[in-house]
Amino acid sequence: MSRITVKNISKKFRIGFMKNQSILNRLLIALSSRGQKKEIIVLNDVSIAINKGETVGIIGENGSGKSTLLRIIAGIYKADKGDVFINGKIISLINLGVGLKERLTMKDNIFLMGSLLGMSNKNIIEKFDDIVLFSELEDFVDTKVYQFSAGMIQRLIFSIAINANPDILLLDEVFEVGDENFREKSAKKIKDLVNTKNVAVILVSHELEMIEKYCDRAILIKKGKIQKEGNSKEVVEFYRLNR
Amino acid sequence: MWKNFLVNLKDIFRLGFQLAKAEFKLRNEGSYLGIFWYLLNPILMFASLFFIFSDRLGNHIEKYPLFLLLGIIMFNVFQSTTLEATSSIIKGYQHLIKSINFPRESLVLSIVLKNIFSHSFELLLFCVALIYFHVSLLGIFYYVLIFIPFAIFIFGFSLAISVLTVFFVDMDNIWIFAVRIIWLGTPIFYAIENQTRLFVFNLFNPLYYFITMARDLVIYNRIPETYIIFGALGFSLFFLIFGLFVFNKLKLKMAELI
Repeated sequence: MSRITVKNISKKFRIGFMKNQSILNRLLIALSSRGQKKEIIVLNDVSIAINKGETVGIIGENGSGKSTLLRIIAGIYKADKGDVFINGKIISLINLGVGLKERLTMKDNIFLMGSLLGMSNKNIIEKFDDIVLFSELEDFVDTKVYQFSAGMIQRLIFSIAINANPDILLLDEVFEVGDENFREKSAKKIKDLVNTKNVAVILVSHELEMIEKYCDRAILIKKGKIQKEGNSKEVVEFYRLNR
Repeated sequence: MWKNFLVNLKDIFRLGFQLAKAEFKLRNEGSYLGIFWYLLNPILMFASLFFIFSDRLGNHIEKYPLFLLLGIIMFNVFQSTTLEATSSIIKGYQHLIKSINFPRESLVLSIVLKNIFSHSFELLLFCVALIYFHVSLLGIFYYVLIFIPFAIFIFGFSLAISVLTVFFVDMDNIWIFAVRIIWLGTPIFYAIENQTRLFVFNLFNPLYYFITMARDLVIYNRIPETYIIFGALGFSLFFLIFGLFVFNKLKLKMAELI
């Protein structure tokens, strides 16, 4: 049974679109039709299917379209072409190092983040101890988060995410700052969720060893196209040689 | 889209409350002295306007202090909610928007809820004034009824303006200016009486309907004119639909632009 089916999606971004954002500028551009219209193709006809209980790694250089792909799967962006079919609740952490509210305590942040990830208040209270325990931050529950290190923040966010009852986990560079121990522990926990609850996982990472070790399959994306797909060891090997 | 909104309504409210709570804690950093600041603005505004206008503009207006105070606090909810709506999405939540697909409407709803909360303190102040001027407190119950469509209007308006801010970077500056014009155009410290031009302008001003309705019912204990009631309900419904429409049209594009 498939959790995620992505069919022939394409996505373009308009470059230079971000600037000239004021109303007057927009009017002038619209009237003179002289605006910069440079486009880059971020994803070009990408199709993937991921089954229940499967862990898939996505690798590729910076700017190859990995995060954009995850955002389209999560429903944050809309693809220009193609279809996405989702079966289950998505929990996504995409380049999220700074999502917490620094001036709030860890406890408040757990409630805020849990709610953002679609947990009910009751559910958060039930899972609160698990979250704190897994993050190993028991001593800091009432500490404001601005005093946390980057690794601690990452640990906290990750602990909330895996306790938010996911069916699908989209993880983008979540292990790049954590220490070795926590990384191992997290990977084990993910494995556990995959085996017991049939969770499907997409892991985007530059830590190729992680991909090799924990993913059933890997997908290599280059310039918005799938370059190679298959056994994670083979794909990582191919990527290393062709970099 | 509408079905979607109704199904998600519970989630939108649940998250909206959590966000409002978090924002409230952020604003006050654990101290409740902040409530004092909510009241300072309307009190000072009231005191200065009363000092300046009570002898001339307010001369013909019955129970002018109540008339003035109610106008000020009602305008204040509208002003502070919409001004916050033009800055909040970009300011505090761009990373979360790009990472998690939570219902975006909650961000706007949280601003509305937070401002309703601080409005309740202004309302307490207004109750004290009602007692002082020997007006029946019963009117406050009517006020709650009026406030429902008023809050819906503010929510719809804020939805539209918050998402437009992402597309037009100078929207917040324009809105600061526009809100000042509306403040002057709305009969808050004066009454329209026989000024036709002003009256016609105010027919297009949703705030006019809500404020007039509240004053009639709460201060003067009389039934507002029919066009006022229908105008208020109409604007409330129109802006809810308009706001949801604009917001839903643009919310996916918004994530790409922040």
